[in-house]
Amino acid sequence: MTDPAESTPTWAVEGADDADDLAAASLALARRFNAGATMWCVAPQWPEQARHVAVEFVHPVIVGSRALPAVHVGGPGLVDALRALVRPGDVLCAVSPADDREVADAFRRAPAWGALTMWIGAGPRPAVGAADHVLWSDPESDPALAPYDGSLSLRYHMLWELTHVCFDHPGLLTEPEGEVCEGPVCITCSDEGRLAEVVAATGELDAEATVRTGDGIETVDTTLVGPLPAGALVLVHAGSAITVVDEGSHASPDLLGST
Amino acid sequence: MSEPNEPAGASDAPAENTAFLYPFIDSEERDPGPLLVDLAASARAKAVLSKSLAAATIEATSGAVSAAARAMSERFQRGGVLYTFGNGGSSSDAASVAALFSRPPSGQALPARCLTEDPAILTALGNDVGFELVFARQLIAHARSGDMCIAMSTSGGSKNLLVAADEARKRGVLVVAMAGYDGGTLARSPSVDHSLVVRSDSVHRIQESQAALAMQLWRTVQLELTRKAA
Repeated sequence: MTDPAESTPTWAVEGADDADDLAAASLALARRFNAGATMWCVAPQWPEQARHVAVEFVHPVIVGSRALPAVHVGGPGLVDALRALVRPGDVLCAVSPADDREVADAFRRAPAWGALTMWIGAGPRPAVGAADHVLWSDPESDPALAPYDGSLSLRYHMLWELTHVCFDHPGLLTEPEGEVCEGPVCITCSDEGRLAEVVAATGELDAEATVRTGDGIETVDTTLVGPLPAGALVLVHAGSAITVVDEGSHASPDLLGST
Repeated sequence: MSEPNEPAGASDAPAENTAFLYPFIDSEERDPGPLLVDLAASARAKAVLSKSLAAATIEATSGAVSAAARAMSERFQRGGVLYTFGNGGSSSDAASVAALFSRPPSGQALPARCLTEDPAILTALGNDVGFELVFARQLIAHARSGDMCIAMSTSGGSKNLLVAADEARKRGVLVVAMAGYDGGTLARSPSVDHSLVVRSDSVHRIQESQAALAMQLWRTVQLELTRKAA
């Protein structure tokens, strides 16, 4: 049909405030796929939404588009399942409301797993820092109806469409080089506040713990934090666990910089 | 999606060559700025098109939606069950519709379920009797006269939906069909009682409008049930 938008210009300002977020998320996703990522799709309350995202990428509607690895993960024990599946460089994509505790728990661990996070939803937005990319529906739309009225599928359809546009720009598909070190303090080089997840519980007599970070498995000193349960999140600085990250807080840039 | 006959190059195909818009193309391109601006503009245009297509679809199908909702509400009142099905992305959309009817955020919960939820049944039927029969055979097992179904497709050409519609008709099951493009064979099938067509040639935009259309159908069914109860 002809573009009805031309006859209804009032739509032009609606539903598009997240266009810049979508653009940034699409380029980030294309870069990750280009480097070999798998996208793990979750939607605990609306599993069909995550299945739709997965089939969108694996079996594209446009003939000739690249088939990309995307997988729906559902069922009980979501965080445990993701912990086993996710590899550094992967992507986690959730379609759920901001108050979904399972998604929030998986996403706060994502930096320790080396995963990029994308959160698609409607209604009240997730807390700042809860995901790397937040693709949120119009604030005026009814969040209870968002999974049914097409506003969420519009967002993941566009994520797919724009990600494929990025593949036509091979020069932009590699992550830019990090900032060059200058001056006496460099956050990157000083190993400041990297998030880590404890792999195995430690006891009173243990001075070290095996942890998982975005770079892989390593051993860190736990003198400052004491015994740790498996799955605990800690901030690691210069080979030491310096603090335990409580549930409900996110590894936001503010927190990482507060060491 | 997932129908094998989708034409390449639907209206919003992302494969369009936009290289001429950028000063440094191919592997020499380093500044993502111009691309990000272009992507955001594209997203805005798609959002505009999606919303206006949904509005135009709801307007164009209002008579058909009212008729389908009246027939469905009568069947729900007499204990009828709703079955939904589709292939690929349309299967997840069909699951969404079943969830909306059976676990609605408000209103009356109605018996509805999607026939693609169980991989054991889908693979058993697909392997033993062929994929064309995966929905029809489930209708033979479950459906009774007085039940209803919603067949969801973008192309309107999926063989297993056409076969299921015929089987449903034979068993006294009300058949509502959703399709895109010109409606395809499905929308014109004599087995279909109510055809709801999204007039677009973009699979993605069709699916978004089908969701809006299904919600309109659900709303109208709820209104009919409330009116009948009063």
